[in-house]
Amino acid sequence: MVHSLNALNTRSFFGINHQRWFRIIVSLITVSVISSCEKDITLDLPQAEQKLVVEGYITPGQPAYVFLSRTAGVYDPLDSASLLNYSVFNATVFISDGINTDTLVQVDPSVGYLYISPGMLGQVGNTYTLTVITKEGETATAITHIDPPVALDSVWFETIPELDSLGWTWARLTDPDTLGNRYRWFAKRLGKDDDFIAPIGSPTEDKFYNGLSFDFAYNRGEVPYSDAEDDNNIEEGYFKLGDTIVVKFASITKDSYEFWRAAETQSSNNGNPFGSITPLISNINGGIGIWEGYSFTLDTLIAQ
Amino acid sequence: MSFAPRQIQLPFMKLITRFSFVSVIICVLLMSFQPAFGQDQSGNKYTISGYIKDAKSGESLFGAGVYVKELQRGTTTNTYGFYSMTFEKGEYTLVFTYIGYISDTVKISLDRNIRINREMKEISYTTETVEITAEQADKNVQSTQMGKVDVDVEMMKTLPAFMGEVDLLKSIQLLPGVQSAGEGNAGFYVRGGGPDQNLILLDEAVVYNASHLFGFFSVFNSDAIKDVSLIKGGMPAQYGGRLASVLDITMKEGNNRETHMEGGIGYVASRFTVEGPIKKDTASFIISARRTFIDLFLREPFISKDSRGYGNSYYFYDLNTKLNYRLSDKDRLYFSGYLGRDVFTFNGLDNGFKVRIPWGNATASLRWNHLFSQKMFMNTTLVLSDYKFSFEAVQQKFDFRLFSGIRDYNAKVDFSYFPNIMHHLKFGTNYTYHIFTPSNVTAQSGDTKFDLGDIVKLYSHEVAAYINDDWDVTDKFAVSYGVRFSFFDQVGPFTRYVKDAYGATTDTIEYSRGKSIADYYHAEPRLSMRLVTGKYQSVKASVTQNYQYIHLASLSSVSLPTDVWVPSSTLVKPQIGWQYAVGYFRNFKENVWETSVEVYYKDLKNQIEYKEGAQPEDDIKNNQDNNFVFGTGWSYGAEFFVKKAKGKFNGWIGYTWSKTERKFADLNKGMTFPAKYDRRHDISLVLVYNLSKKWTFGATWVYATGNSMTLPVSRAFFNGPIDLTQLNGSNPTTSGQIYYEYGDRNSYRMAAYHRLDISATLYVKKKKRFESSWNFSIYNVYSRMNPYFIYLDEKVDDSTNTLKLQAKQVSLFPIIPSVTYNFKF
Repeated sequence: MVHSLNALNTRSFFGINHQRWFRIIVSLITVSVISSCEKDITLDLPQAEQKLVVEGYITPGQPAYVFLSRTAGVYDPLDSASLLNYSVFNATVFISDGINTDTLVQVDPSVGYLYISPGMLGQVGNTYTLTVITKEGETATAITHIDPPVALDSVWFETIPELDSLGWTWARLTDPDTLGNRYRWFAKRLGKDDDFIAPIGSPTEDKFYNGLSFDFAYNRGEVPYSDAEDDNNIEEGYFKLGDTIVVKFASITKDSYEFWRAAETQSSNNGNPFGSITPLISNINGGIGIWEGYSFTLDTLIAQ
Repeated sequence: MSFAPRQIQLPFMKLITRFSFVSVIICVLLMSFQPAFGQDQSGNKYTISGYIKDAKSGESLFGAGVYVKELQRGTTTNTYGFYSMTFEKGEYTLVFTYIGYISDTVKISLDRNIRINREMKEISYTTETVEITAEQADKNVQSTQMGKVDVDVEMMKTLPAFMGEVDLLKSIQLLPGVQSAGEGNAGFYVRGGGPDQNLILLDEAVVYNASHLFGFFSVFNSDAIKDVSLIKGGMPAQYGGRLASVLDITMKEGNNRETHMEGGIGYVASRFTVEGPIKKDTASFIISARRTFIDLFLREPFISKDSRGYGNSYYFYDLNTKLNYRLSDKDRLYFSGYLGRDVFTFNGLDNGFKVRIPWGNATASLRWNHLFSQKMFMNTTLVLSDYKFSFEAVQQKFDFRLFSGIRDYNAKVDFSYFPNIMHHLKFGTNYTYHIFTPSNVTAQSGDTKFDLGDIVKLYSHEVAAYINDDWDVTDKFAVSYGVRFSFFDQVGPFTRYVKDAYGATTDTIEYSRGKSIADYYHAEPRLSMRLVTGKYQSVKASVTQNYQYIHLASLSSVSLPTDVWVPSSTLVKPQIGWQYAVGYFRNFKENVWETSVEVYYKDLKNQIEYKEGAQPEDDIKNNQDNNFVFGTGWSYGAEFFVKKAKGKFNGWIGYTWSKTERKFADLNKGMTFPAKYDRRHDISLVLVYNLSKKWTFGATWVYATGNSMTLPVSRAFFNGPIDLTQLNGSNPTTSGQIYYEYGDRNSYRMAAYHRLDISATLYVKKKKRFESSWNFSIYNVYSRMNPYFIYLDEKVDDSTNTLKLQAKQVSLFPIIPSVTYNFKF
């Protein structure tokens, strides 16, 4: 029994957005007949109200960490230095598990931005409330919980016959019989990737496979705007024989699933003439972003 | 699981009980004409009736005029070429007229009922000396109908054609009040209505998707089309089921005198048509086919086997056919069929990934014309209409299929009754059984299927009965009034998924086969009138109400073949449209110049859209309508039209000023927003110059306010869940990404769309029976880079490690010349 979890999203099939197919069709036709033309333009965009951006995570055995920033103009330059201009400094941030409360500490007062809970580590089954009060007077709150992890039965690598050494990572999952499990898949090649990378189609829910046991495949995701060689040649999207791959399989909440799914669709619809506007679906009251509790299992495999 | 506590009721029974008053009204109306109903006229009135047809081909002529000089009154033929008039005994002069045909005068002495069938001769377009005279040249001023335009198919063929393909849908977009959505968009928009609010009929069959390849070409092969008329306001009662317009297209019947062949080779497609008699003057046929041939060049030897494009292919074809048989002088049978398909295939070289995407329409209609008497004409029609889309992907053992569509079984009976020269009554009934297939997905590998829910089909009955009277009250004042009663019932089998506020299914309700789920019934009044205010001038006004029971839901920002039709249901209420229009029509210089000004206001209720951020998979194991939001809309505008109808040099200019808005509680924070197809200004200029017998030149220029769209106004940076141990101080990670916050819905305007096209048609000297012509067209002469869409390009500058955003505007077509060769013998 071989399936692709990816394909369970109708919009994506092995990481390919189906709406994107129409773009391929149109470009194919237009390219074969004439070529379409593109030019740089300047958009006269209205001044938007600045919003508080909250991005926070809590996982079992780890402190909570929360990034606080503000929205920027579309055209404002973006690098690590300018990001500081949008950083939130000296905010009061605390989390509560319903019994205890811990105040998060700003890691570097000259940078602001990142806040970590020194005295509270995540625990499966707990619910966590986040409260942010900025110096400037904004207040944001959010709530999340940590679902128990669901381990994959097994993970392995399979080459694609036509591509010799290249292929995808496969896994077998036995989904618990209760409806409402949501997962997110990450992978990291040791020695090649700095961090875990989520491929397109990484968030899924068990709406279509509740209680089933099945095999599925993921292609290799890439860091946004990657200029790595293997993200720009034939190896793009594939793992390779010899790779040591760590798979992080996370159990996520409904809020997380909706946030990441919308975020992913928004990115893939940019540049798609047929795409529709997909706003982020945030779970932050008083801001935009995600406050997310999740648990995960790690599996290591060697592509052979 | 619970069951709906509803009784099973036959839809017809329901209709009869609920609309018994319809029959009452019809009886009352008929009784008012009773003296004229029988053959035995009170006093000394007699009827003159007959058919008008083309002398050469024997095809019936629709809209031909029959004018009684002494009475200064007249009538026009119906779709089947039939006319009937009843008036006092006497000596009269009848004038038969038809656009592009030589007028014909007959003296009659009316002392009994008489039948005059007439054959009319066409004026050659390229004849210098004879002017193209329109029948009853001031028809635009005289008719009660507002907002109706008859498109001259032959004239359209001399206008510039995109890639050599004459496109009737593009031609009607040159009329005021009708807007194009730009290149690459299948729909057209009439007076602020959506693309699903146009009723497109091909020989009485509804065509659900009228374009090939995302609107670049229409499905109507001009070689097979005889007449095209568009009603954009004041819709008479015989039409219904859509709010905005009716595009009524009639296929050629086929020459019943001699066999002819016709064809052409264009830039992307070729066409071939055969027509001729099966039995002379009794039965004839026409078969017309068209196919693109781009795909022939997307394979070896044109493309190498290793190239990326290899194995990809796209083509479309159309097949039109029509047969007609004259059973007797009183009975005539017609069969029409249309089949069109677009097929795209993709074969991924590297990993065995294959995709096939076929979609298209099929329609068939069978019609029986019967003449009960000289005054009573009946047409009975049976129609099958089908639209299908599917997406099939295969990789190794994995198989994925998505499909959707709509199928209609339709039966109707329409009567035309001509009691006397003052009245023309139309009445009839119409029944449609709709089968909707919303997006269904199946996925399997080997023998194992994923649980993507059962195949969902939705069923409904739609019934209508109407009566409409065209009444010449005085010689100056005429009124067309009527009412249409409509009834709609969604029936089982059906599963309703009941959702809580978080989108979780809390209950399902099962409806068994045939059980009524949601029913609606309404009366739709229609009224239009005309007052002649002087020689060559009139004022017209109309008020119409329409109900639309089926809806097109689009997840995309443009119309796509994937868009799905859905019925009215317990959640989706029928769309309601009121339209009010007033116009002033005036001709100058013996009807050489026709001008008009029309203003309209339109009020729309129960409009549907997908929820913000809805995704295709949300429809699976769910009811699509759970993902809809509902709102209202309105549109108002003014249309100015100046046409030079005669002469070597003719054409028109149309200008429309309009404003179209929508308001949805759940979209754009409940604030009013411009509709996608809101256009402040829209100009169309059409010029034709008949230089000589050999050469005709055409030019069109269009200008439209840019499309509205939603753009990001700010952005936020997200790291994504990361491994804390990898965190480099508190700097953002390399895997971080920016996401956008959007501004008000449709608050941004793209640059205006404008384009000039020119054409030259060369008629090669006729040899024996063989005629041919060359059409040279240049599309987008000054190569205007019209915006197709805009996106933000995100690029990392490696030297500074800075992310830069650049807005890019994509345009589809620069200047494109094309040549088409047409022949006929």
